[in-house]
Amino acid sequence: MQMKKIVLAISSVLLGSSIAIAADGPIKIGVVTPLSGTYTPIGQQVKMGLELATKEVNASGGIMGRKVELIFEDEEANPAVATQKAEKLFQVSNVDFLTGTVNSGSTLAVGQLAERNNKLIATTVSFADSITSDKCSPNVFRVNARAGMQSAALATWLAKEKPNANVFYIGPDYEMGRSTVSAFKKAAEEKGAKSVGEIFAPLDNKDYSPYFGQVRAAKPNVIYTSVAGNDTVRLLTQMSEYGVNKGVTLVGAAGTVTSQNIAATGSAAEGYVTGVGYSAKADTPANKKFLAAFQAEFKTQPDLYGTDSYGLIYFYKAAVEKAKSTDTDKVRAAMKDLEWSTPQGMKKMRGGDHQAMQEMYAVKIEGGQFNVIGRVPAEQAIGPDTCTRF
Amino acid sequence: MLESLQYIYAPQIINGLSIGVAVILMALGLTIIFGLLDVINMSHGEFYAAGAFLGVSLMGLGISFWWTLIIVPLLLVPFGYLMQELLIKKVFHHKDRHILTLLLTFGVATILEDLYKVIWGANTAKPATPITGASEVLGVMFPNYRLFLMMFGALLIFAVWLLIYKTSIGSIVRAATLDRNMSASLGIPVNRVYALTFAFGVALAALSGVLLAPIYSVFPTMGKDFILMAFAVVIVGGLGSIKGAVIAGLLLTQLQSLSSLFISPVWSDPIVFAVMVLVLMFKPSGLYAGMKNG
Repeated sequence: MQMKKIVLAISSVLLGSSIAIAADGPIKIGVVTPLSGTYTPIGQQVKMGLELATKEVNASGGIMGRKVELIFEDEEANPAVATQKAEKLFQVSNVDFLTGTVNSGSTLAVGQLAERNNKLIATTVSFADSITSDKCSPNVFRVNARAGMQSAALATWLAKEKPNANVFYIGPDYEMGRSTVSAFKKAAEEKGAKSVGEIFAPLDNKDYSPYFGQVRAAKPNVIYTSVAGNDTVRLLTQMSEYGVNKGVTLVGAAGTVTSQNIAATGSAAEGYVTGVGYSAKADTPANKKFLAAFQAEFKTQPDLYGTDSYGLIYFYKAAVEKAKSTDTDKVRAAMKDLEWSTPQGMKKMRGGDHQAMQEMYAVKIEGGQFNVIGRVPAEQAIGPDTCTRF
Repeated sequence: MLESLQYIYAPQIINGLSIGVAVILMALGLTIIFGLLDVINMSHGEFYAAGAFLGVSLMGLGISFWWTLIIVPLLLVPFGYLMQELLIKKVFHHKDRHILTLLLTFGVATILEDLYKVIWGANTAKPATPITGASEVLGVMFPNYRLFLMMFGALLIFAVWLLIYKTSIGSIVRAATLDRNMSASLGIPVNRVYALTFAFGVALAALSGVLLAPIYSVFPTMGKDFILMAFAVVIVGGLGSIKGAVIAGLLLTQLQSLSSLFISPVWSDPIVFAVMVLVLMFKPSGLYAGMKNG
């Protein structure tokens, strides 16, 4: 009898504590992001943004009293690796939510996996419009601005500043280059710009000078480009070497001039204008507070990716607190049309296609810094909801 | 007609010339190492990158661009010498020399490329252009640095040709490659000649790296940029021929430059390689085969 009581007591204590662990255990967020390879700098920003927000949330009591725990996996910016790592996080680590994918292909692939596992994911980086349009998924959310919003912001700025724009387009000859050029061309032409010519140069092109004759002959007053990485350094420095950019407004994609290549491009990048979803120069209290905290923690500046990843943790927190649960269906319902606060101001998750709406900036490189020179309201930049799956 | 000649064709031809000089500079070291040593050096592009990186670093220390033109190639001479002595010599007398040296130098290239990432990071660097401004050439504005590059490059190519064909050093080198045993029995230190020749080719690649960095910028994978084009030039021009490299280099880059006026730029590389295939089919030895033709 005595023995029975002891056993009962022990087991009830064990059982009770295990139940307590289940209720008070951490909320696990899986992060599949490139920690090696070409996209490492982006992965680092994603990691820093998520870690800073998680630290803040945990310091102020977590989400519904539960701590947040991040579990990182390296996706190597490769959709095949990303799905393996995501599967592991869903099945083995049993994460409640997943984020971090950079490559748009990875986001789409992991999104399908999330549907099969009945879990939700969000990207904080991927630009491809398709993720929240024709390839949208009920399990995928995007908190960052998509490519279409960036070109809409840039086209709006251009229409105001250069009403008689004659635009010449220079893009890298592959999917990303062609789609960015055609998207901006459409947006600019709708606002009255004239297209005077276009060139698609091979990726990793060494010398752009053979094309400058065509550019000059077309007499543009605006040149749009969507080259990236080392191609940006070469195109812009060679253009200034030949004086092709004299008297021309240089505009382009958000990924063209980045912290990775701005130093090498130097003065050739001066005056470059692009449309983005974040600028460290944005003069708002929320951004200043975020900037100070980020710099104190990591001794470096946040970029677009770090900021949107930071905002994601608060998005998830707001959704779980609204749903009062981490259950997939309840959280999904809570995320629809959810408004939450980020360093870029209030964002709203559009229920129809799971695309976050936010104010967009036109930024210009002046003295090696991205200065905000124009703002485009969220409603003007977002574009129509073309998602038909849900 | 005259107008299109002046505003469209002339700039295109001058541009093609400046790219041509860059390509010939790369092909020069390659064709010397191939022609004299019979070694296919797949790491040539990485030595070009080494030159560019060292140039940027030295300029960061406050050394002027003009000094780096001398210092950087000299810094790489011992490296090239040791590579021939310690690595290539090991497989040099093997009957599969071509395959083995190709694999060996390819391995060195891979290691070097990663080494650059570790030392200098993945980000792009670009040294300031040492000569700024532009001048009018045939009614077209042309950057001064590219003008300098064309003249300096032409002088350099001519000097290398003189060295190999008109000096006693050159005749020793050529003798050592034509008949190794006879040269050795006449007292020529054949192994040292081979190692110095390899080092000379490496130094030429490094010099091209310093010269071209202000135009093409500097990053770890830059070695891959010119290497295919340079190989095409060496094959079309004839292995080991400096004259052939110059003619093929000018021909292929003009072809690329002028064709990009009419067809999508993406086709400019396939055109070059199509010419290479045609040469391999109808004149496999190239336009001017062998060292003896200059």
